[in-house]
Formats: sequence, structure tokens, C-alpha cells
Amino acid sequence: MSRRAMLILSCIAVVALACAPLLFSSFTISLFNYVGIYALVAIGLALLTGVAGIVSFGQAAFVGVAAYATAWASALNGYSPWLGLLLAIVLTCAVAAVLGAATLRLEGHFLSLSTLAWGLAIGFLFGNIEGLGNFSGISNIPPIRIGGHALMKSEEIYYLILLIVVLSLVAMYNLLDSRWGRALRALRGGNVLVESLGVNAFQTKLAAFVIAAFLAALSGWLYAHMSRFVSPASFDAAMGIEYLMMAMVGGQGSLIGGVVGASIITFLKNAIQDYLPLISPNAAGQLEVVAFAAIFIVFLQYARRGVVPFIAARLPSARPTTPASAAALDMRVQPKAGAPLLKVDQAMRRFGGLIAVNAVSFDVRAGEIVGLIGPNGAGKSTMFNLLTGALKLDGGAIEFSGLPIHGAPQRAIARAGIARTFQHVKLRPRMSVLDNVLLGAHGRLQSGIVRGMLRLDRTEEARARAEAMRQLERTGLAEHAFDAAGSLPLGKQRLVEIARALAADPTLLVLDEPAAGLRRNEKMELATLLRELRADKLTVLLVEHDMEFVMSLVDRIVVMDFGSKISEGLPAEVRADPRVQEAYLGGVA
Amino acid sequence: MTFDIAAILAVDGIASGAIYALVAIGTVLLFSVTRVMFVPFGDLAAFTALTLAALDDGKTPGTVNLVIALAVLAFAMEALALVRAGKMKMLPRAALFYLVIPIAVALAVRLLAPATPPLPVRLIMALALIVPVAPLLDRIVFRPVADAPVLVLLIIAVALHFALVGLGLLFFGPEGVRTQPLTSWSTEILGAMVSGQTVCIVIAAVALSALLYVGFEFTLTGKALRATSSNRTGARLMGVRPARAGTIAYVLSSILAGVSGLLIAPVNTIFYDSGFLIGLKAFVGAIIGGLHSYPGAAIGAVIVGLLESFASFASSSLKDVIVFSVLVPILVWRSLVSVHIEEEDEE
Amino acid sequence: MHRLAAVAVSALLVSAPAQAEIKLGFITALSGPAAALGIPYANGMKAARKYKAKIGNETVTLIQLDDGSDPAATTRNARKLVEEEKVDILIGTATAPGTIAMATIANELGVPMIAVSPIKIETADPAKQWTIAVPQPPMLMAKVVADRMKRDKVHNVGYIGFSDAWGDLVYAGGKAAEARGDIKLLTNERYARTDTSVTAQILRILATKPDGVLIGGSSTQAALPLLALADRGFKGHNYGLASLINPDFVRVGGKAAEGVQVSAGPVIVSEQLPDGHFSKKLSADFRAAYKEVNGSESRDGFSAYSFDAYLIFAGAAERALGKAKPGTLEFRKALRDEMLNTKELAGVHAVYNFKPGQGYGVDDRSLVIVKLKDGKWIYAP
Repeated sequence: MSRRAMLILSCIAVVALACAPLLFSSFTISLFNYVGIYALVAIGLALLTGVAGIVSFGQAAFVGVAAYATAWASALNGYSPWLGLLLAIVLTCAVAAVLGAATLRLEGHFLSLSTLAWGLAIGFLFGNIEGLGNFSGISNIPPIRIGGHALMKSEEIYYLILLIVVLSLVAMYNLLDSRWGRALRALRGGNVLVESLGVNAFQTKLAAFVIAAFLAALSGWLYAHMSRFVSPASFDAAMGIEYLMMAMVGGQGSLIGGVVGASIITFLKNAIQDYLPLISPNAAGQLEVVAFAAIFIVFLQYARRGVVPFIAARLPSARPTTPASAAALDMRVQPKAGAPLLKVDQAMRRFGGLIAVNAVSFDVRAGEIVGLIGPNGAGKSTMFNLLTGALKLDGGAIEFSGLPIHGAPQRAIARAGIARTFQHVKLRPRMSVLDNVLLGAHGRLQSGIVRGMLRLDRTEEARARAEAMRQLERTGLAEHAFDAAGSLPLGKQRLVEIARALAADPTLLVLDEPAAGLRRNEKMELATLLRELRADKLTVLLVEHDMEFVMSLVDRIVVMDFGSKISEGLPAEVRADPRVQEAYLGGVA
Repeated sequence: MTFDIAAILAVDGIASGAIYALVAIGTVLLFSVTRVMFVPFGDLAAFTALTLAALDDGKTPGTVNLVIALAVLAFAMEALALVRAGKMKMLPRAALFYLVIPIAVALAVRLLAPATPPLPVRLIMALALIVPVAPLLDRIVFRPVADAPVLVLLIIAVALHFALVGLGLLFFGPEGVRTQPLTSWSTEILGAMVSGQTVCIVIAAVALSALLYVGFEFTLTGKALRATSSNRTGARLMGVRPARAGTIAYVLSSILAGVSGLLIAPVNTIFYDSGFLIGLKAFVGAIIGGLHSYPGAAIGAVIVGLLESFASFASSSLKDVIVFSVLVPILVWRSLVSVHIEEEDEE
Repeated sequence: MHRLAAVAVSALLVSAPAQAEIKLGFITALSGPAAALGIPYANGMKAARKYKAKIGNETVTLIQLDDGSDPAATTRNARKLVEEEKVDILIGTATAPGTIAMATIANELGVPMIAVSPIKIETADPAKQWTIAVPQPPMLMAKVVADRMKRDKVHNVGYIGFSDAWGDLVYAGGKAAEARGDIKLLTNERYARTDTSVTAQILRILATKPDGVLIGGSSTQAALPLLALADRGFKGHNYGLASLINPDFVRVGGKAAEGVQVSAGPVIVSEQLPDGHFSKKLSADFRAAYKEVNGSESRDGFSAYSFDAYLIFAGAAERALGKAKPGTLEFRKALRDEMLNTKELAGVHAVYNFKPGQGYGVDDRSLVIVKLKDGKWIYAP
């Protein structure tokens, strides 16, 4: 489906939804209201869990904080619900920021478990606060008023909920399509990848976390003023799990999936309640939860990735338009050829008792291609990680463009002008090749979250897309721009990584075993590309295993073995060095 | 707080902790072999207690019908899979394991129950009835999604827990049970009374975690199970069938759940839904222990028990708030000390 | 579809087809943490429906929904019953928060409601009052118990209750008695229904050297503090409210629960009441009906609340039928007015008198003290 068809379809859907109160009974509309309220949380979870890979069991607690905040303000203190909204948002986002700051550095299931832990703790807390009605909760919450009119009826608050859900969806879709959204989508590729792109992974996660909490706050506010009653039971662990179920049923990582999931779960429960008494009149109540769980399990067995991806895979896909040309992004001034660019001085790195890099020193000058070679276990990869900041030095120093970079975080080194590729290709396989390359330009763009949500970043985005397209042309990948990166053969994937690195407008390109796993003709294409880059005044350092590939390509070679530098010089000199021959051929020589 | 009170609280915490430890060990066992965070584990323990209570009263426990229903469903699924794969020869074997044995056990219990046999027989009956439940659930629920990501498996386990709680309510009713103690012996440690039942639980927790540790480190089956947990494809190439390894793990952990259910039934009132919080706290203990070590899980569970006991004394209404809040810094610490492997999450 | 389900439920209860009907929407917790209360409520409602299937010439159609102990589900169910099924009256539910949520809907949509859980009922504007409550208010229950404590010369009282709305209500009742100067409440300890131990809480209570302990738990797990108290050799008096009355409480509590004194509705000890007591004959009828539909004996107070709620509804509906036709707004209004006009209606728990501006309709006659002796509840006037 094209973007225009999508847009028309969305408009039709919104209009149809706006007419719903004319068609359905009051109760059905109140079910729609619940769907909308749950969907807000599920959209936040789609962003947090599906896109960023942070599994949160604690969203119900955020809904609760917001609902209690507005209930406290409006029912107990007589303030307007709109003031309650402000309080709900501020309080919920503040709680999320503090919790996120404390826990988002955790990895894998430690992180999900921590969300479960604080979710439970906050849930248990509500019932123990004297001023919030203890376990009985707060009743008589006033309805929301717009211009003196109270939104009492289901049909009235329905429009407010619809408006908020639609606006949230639009904002979130815009956001995902922005510079910041791309960084978010890259998070599942691991910290090393995103940091190498100049992205602050922790801050990105924290922002996603707070945005999800913001949506939960909207949901809690609406919930409190719609049901006009809050009590702790509505925000307990079971509800947190249910929100997660909604996001998963709808489709992991799909925003509209949040709405679909919330609808399915809400209407499924209602249908079970209606139909189950026909099958089992005596035990209907107890069996409701069994039936619900059984249907849910069967569903996940057959459509694990959720409804929306399941359907989307069966629809014709859009043919995106090639980016129009636009003004180029600002470029760095490349240093003069021959000027010292990188200086490694007595670099040391230990792993326990093992010295992986032992007092290695070498230089790279602007405009040359330098190869760092050595047999397996020589310490090349460790040296590489030290250069890019993925590992910290135990001793010595590394200078880049005259500034010390050892001790700097990866993202700072990336922004200073060192762009890298990975030995095991790290692309986001489901993102398009173009989007992958755009990730590289992250550090050259300025638009933040708010500009992204409001789509104020379009001029900059157009320039970035044109730049990414240029890099794709440079690497011969233009025809694959809209293919999923994971669908390309390995050789092409390596080129995508180089294009991504080039999109960062680097001074120094460091390539980690770029020829590994490539076929002969692919290697030749790669060599040609690298020579062209050198002609464009780019400096390249490549860590490589393949002697033949390196010899024909580079200006100078540094050889490592057992953690130490054993030789340095022109390819011919190094080839003749007996120490190198011994290192490579071992005792046979 | 005086020393006396601290001693009583400590004993109480260890007693609760030992209960969590039994469940935690089972959780670790299942997670490490199948990657399933088997949330309903606590439910199985609770069902064992409820089964025993029904047998004590000479009633037919609801578990009988549960096992029969699960056996029929599991066999139907297995038979369908075998027929589709054209492996008709394996049908009789599948029928034996999935249909005949579980139903025979269920019918035997049904026949014996009204006679109210002596306690040791009732214990064995309750255990025999609960052991088939988890392997059958594995066949029905988890086998079709064995290669799914951990998150999907976790969510399915949670859904399964909800289903079991619903079934528990249906089969056992909403009221709690407490069975006759296995022993009335008790002793005094540090001025605090310790019941024989508590001693039994602690001994069982220590013995079982030690046994599993030894079993997994030093026996061939244990090594095969561990191989499955670290690399399914690799294990398959080495001739270890993940499905079989899974079944062994489910049987083992069902026995664990059953034993813990039998041990806790006399000291705690057990409801159809008691399993969740017990399971959750055990899970927390397992995480503190690092999720891969049996003694670690047991120690972690005891830490949770102690924390809970002292938190109850500090402020009983905020007990759960305290326990779960303290967990966050513990997790941060655990995450710092655990070996960090960067994993790429391929959706 | 909803009609189908409704007919299915009514067909289960009466064989005659429902032509003219009064629709009763009943919500209870058949699952979730409050199921131990919710299921007896449901059983009691079934018995009541059996006891009096017709009001005037109209058949009562009972539509029962489960809220799983979740107030959000109660809200949804209440809307469904009113907006889809067009019920004439709402009765429910097993949790206090759920009941409050339900009353909010009843007031908003203008449907009379009878609460079977104790809640505070907003009566600021009697014209907007649609809800009344059947159970004895916890304040009254606590007062009756506090009077008994005074008689037993128990002044310093330890409190331990559930960490839920019920635990809050009982504590508030105890605090009110303290304000009157009857007793002194020394602690406010809490535990959850699924907790495995209350040793720490009991240690705290014992450290204050109380004369007696007030239990704010319910059903089986109300026995947990008593067991722990017995373990630590507590020799003082134990007290509780009606929520303790449950066969499994007696079974699990065993020796430790002996001697506990509870304020409860007279229905609990109806056989032991003097002849001519308002509850004696009616309770026997209730038990007979209960046994017929549920196949077991009624031994709790919760099912009796449903029964009384139904009686109040039936009385009011009988009078309201003269004013309007069921299924109309006029009928609902008339039903509300008649409900609030209930005079000296004998139920199994109490003699009910309601008037506008009052949520509760019970008096001192609704509570007696019963004592557990040899596993039986004994009337202890």
C-alpha cells in the first residue's frame, strides 16, 4: 500500500470511528472507551517493548500514579481535572525518569524483572496511603469539563478519548520516522552498535521510557475521569501483564498494533462473558479466565509476532519514492594528506592475567590506508575495540586529530570522526537499507524528539535522505535502497555498513575484517571501493586477517602477534620480515 | 528489636525462605533446560497441597479430572503431529506416555480415594497425580512454540498461570486448606521454637539443591540437559533431543513442586491461587541467585524470606512495598557482577 | 446475543418462559481474590430466587455476571447490565472497591442498587441517592464487638487485618470505638490473604501486651493470626467480625480458633435463637431453599446478605409494580422510592428500615455475639 492509500484509509477509519456513537449502543461505546484508554498504554509499550526491546511489566503502575494524581487533585482537593492532567503528567514522567535512571542500565531479564518489582511495589503502595483512601480508593471523581460542559456520558468522553488516541498515534508514527526514532529502532541491535553511531543509548532508552509513561499518564487521567472511581486493584501486577499481552497480540513493535491488541483483548473478554454461559452455565465465571488464557495461548502459538505483522505480511507492500535531491549536509573539513591523524602510544589492555594488547604503538596519517594484521589471537580485535572506545585502555594513550580519545565513551569517539564497521555485520535486518544508512548520519542531524513528533524535521530529513542516497550510490547499492537490510547477501551487507559509516562523514574509517566471508569477486569490488575512498581523501584503517587482500590494497601495514607489534612498514617490507613469516606460518617456516 | 525477636524472625524468615527455595530450584531447573520461565510452578505446588487435602477428607481431588483432560488433549496433539509427519509407528509409544500412564494414575487415585488410605500412601497418591501435569502442559502449550523468544515463552507461561488459577478455583473451590502435620516434633534454636515441619522443609531445600547441583555437574543426563539449555541446535547435533530433555526437566521439576506442596500444606493455608506470590518470590530468589545456580537460587530465596520476615516486623502494611523496592538495588548489583554478554536481539 | 445469555441463565432457574419480567442484574466475584466471598453471594442469590421467583405476576429474571474481583470489570459489567440488558435493579458485589465503583454507575445511570458489601454511601443529596446497603456497617459490627470487649474487661486491643479494603474498614471501626473511649487500639498490623506467615506481626502485637486481639481478616485465612497467636502462647481474648464465619475458618483454625467471639447476623445461629425471633423461621426457609439449589448447607453470612438484598428488592418491587411497568424509567424511580421507604422488613440478618438520605437500614437487632466452642458457633447473648 502506498503512503497515500494508507493516509486515505486512516482518514476513513477516523471518520467511521467518529460516527460510531450513532451506530452502536451506549455500552459498546463504553467498551470503545476502554479500548482507547488501554490502547494508549499499549502504544507506549509497543514503542518501549516492541521497538526498543525494553520489556516492561510496570506500565499499570504509571497508569495508577496518573489516575491517583488526578483523583487527588480533583476529587479530594476540588481542582479542575485539567489541572489534574498537568499533575498526572508531571508526576508520572518524574517517577518514570527516576525509575528509568536507576534501572535502564540493567540488561535483559534483570531489566524486565526490575519493572515487575517496582510495578508491584507501587501497586502495593497505593492501598497504604491514608490520604488516598487506602484500599477502598477514591470515589466521586468529577467528570472532565470542556467549556462548562461535563463529559458524563460514554458518548461524550468517547470523542475526547478518540482525539487523544489519534493524536498520540500520529505523534508516535512521526517520531518513529525521525532521527530519534531511527536511533530507538536501532537499540535492539545492542549498545555497541548504537553507541558506535554516536547515539547515547541510555538517554535514548530513558526518553522512550518517559514517553511510554507519558502515554500511560494520559490513559490514567482518562480512566480516572471516565470510571470516576479509582482503587488499587485496577493497577496491580495482573493489569501490567494484561497491557503487555495487548501489545503482544497487536504485534510487537507495531504502534497501531497497540490499538488492535487493546480492541481484541477487550472485545474478546466481553464475548467470552456473553457466550460462555451458553456452553457452561454453572461454572461460567470461573471458566472465563481459563477460556481467555487458552485463546491467548493458541493465538501466540499460531501468530507469535502478533496480528498486525501477520496481516501486513499478506498485504502488497508500498513502493517508496526515491529521495529527491536536497541541499547537502554540512561536511567536515578533511585534514591535509600526510598530517598525523591517529597516534597510538604504548597501548595496554589486560583480561585478567592475559595481556591482550601489550605496549603497542603506531600512527595513521591522513589520506592513507593502513592495515592492521596478525594471526588469530594476535590482539587485533582488542586493539580495534580500544580505538573505537568499546574497550577501555589499561595503560598508554590514543590521540585522534591531536586530542586524547582514550577514556572517552564510544559515542564521543564516533562523533569526533571515527566511523567503524563490524566483523559480524550489525545491521538492523528489518529496517530498509536506506534507513540503516541514515542511522550513520545521526550525529550530523540536530532534530530532537519534539521536532520529530511534530514533523518539523522534514527539511533536515530530506537532506539526510539525499545524503544517505548519495552514499548508497557511492557504494553501488542504490538499487537496494528500499530492501530490508537482512535480505541482502553478506557481501552487500558489508557494503551497507561502509555506506552507513560514510554517512557519518568520518575523517577515519576503521573496518573490522571487511573481507571476512566474502567471495573473490566481492573482495575485488571492496578493494576498488576502498581505493576510491582514498582518492576522496578519506583515511582508512583496516583490521584484517586476509593477507592477500591487505597486501594489494594498503599503503602501510602494522603486524601484531600475541598482543605485541612485531613489524611495521610497507607491504613488501612486511612480507619479507622473517618474524611475520614465522608468526603466520608458525614452526613450518 | 531484641535478640530474641530477631532470632524468631530469622527462623520464620528461613522457614518461608525454604519454601520459596524449593520452588526457586524448580524454576531454575526448568529455565535452564527449556528457557521457559515456568510461572505456574507455584500453582503446581498449591495444587499438590489441595490434592492432599482432598485425599485427607476421602474426596476425589479435582486433579483427577484435570489430568485426564490434559492427557486426552496432549495425546490428541501428539497423535496429530505424528500422523502429519507420517510417523505412525510411534503412535503406540505416544499413547502409552501421553494417554495410558497418566489416565491409569488418575483412575487409580479415584478408586483409592474414598477408602482414605494411610498418610504415606496419600502422599504418594498426591505426588503421582501432580507429576504428569507439567509434562502434559509442556506438550500442549510449550512444545509448539519451543523456538520462540524468551519473552513470548514468558508471556505464554503467565497466561498458562491464569488458566491454571481458573481451573484451580473450579476444581478446588475458593477456600484454603491446611493438612495434618507430618510430624509434631519441635525443638528450640536460639530461643526460638522450630517445628519439625520447618526442619523438614529446610532439609529438603538443602538436599534437593545439592542433589540437582551434583546431578547437573557430574552425570551424563545432567550434562545433556545443560547442553540443551546453552545451545538447542548444538545439542540436537550432538544427539540430545531438546523435547526429551524438556520432558525430563518437567518431570523432575514436577516432583520438586509436588514435594514442596506436600511440605508446605501443613504449615501454611494454601488456596487455589496461593501459587502466584510464592512463585513470584521464588522467582525473585532465583534471580538473586543468578538464574543458573541451584545453591544460588536456594540462598536467594532464603534472602527473600528473611527480608520479608524483617520487613513485616518493621511495617507489616508496607511489607510487600519494602520487599519489592529492595529488589531493585539488588538487581542493579546482580547485573553489575554478572558476566555481561552483549546480545543482539533479532526480534 | 446478550438476550440469549440472559435467557440461558433464567431458563436454568425457572422452567416457565419469561414473558412479563423484572430484570435483576447481579454482579459478584466468581473468580479472583474475592471469590471466597463472591461464590457464597452467588449461592445466596440463587436461593433467594428459588425462595421467591415471582413478584406480583412478574417473573424475576436474574442476570449474573462475574467481575473477577476487579473494580474496572465491575464498572463494565454494571454498564452492560444497565445499557444492554436494561435491568431494573442492580445488586452486588463481593469487594468494597467494586461495590463503590458499581454505585457510581448506578447513580450516574439512574438505576436502583442494593450493595451487598459494606461501603460508605453518598447521601449528601437524597434526590440523587440510588443505592442502599444491606450488611451491617463495619462501624456497627465493631461497636457491638467493642461493647463485648468492655464487658469482658478487655481494654488494650491489638489489631491485625487484611491488607485490603476490608482490613481498612475493620480498623476504622476499631478506631471509632477507641474514640468513644471503649477500648484502646494498640497496633495496626496487616497481612495478605496469600501470605505464608504472620509471625512478625504477631510479635509486634504481643510486644504491646494486649488484653485481646481484634482480627480483621475474612474466611479461611482469618485463622492465620489465631494460629500464630496460639503458637506464641497468647492467652488473651480474640475477637472478630462476621467475616470470620466460614466452615473452613473453623476447620483450619482448629484449637487455636476456640473461644473467638464474633459479632454476626442472627442467621448464623438461627437454630439457637429464642422462638419468635424475627430471623428464626425465615432463616430456616432460607436454608431449605439454599440446600435445594446448591446441594449443600449454608454456613456463612455472605449468602444471607444476598438473600436479604433480594427480599428488600422484592418488597419494594411489589409496591412499585402498582405505579409503573418494569423496564421503564418510571419503574426504576418507583423502585428506588419504595426501596428507600422500606419499613420493618424482616430479613435473616436484620429488620430493615430505610429512608432517603440513609445508606444503611439496620439497627442493633442485626447483630449478636457468637462464640466458637468445640468447632460450633454458639449464640452468646
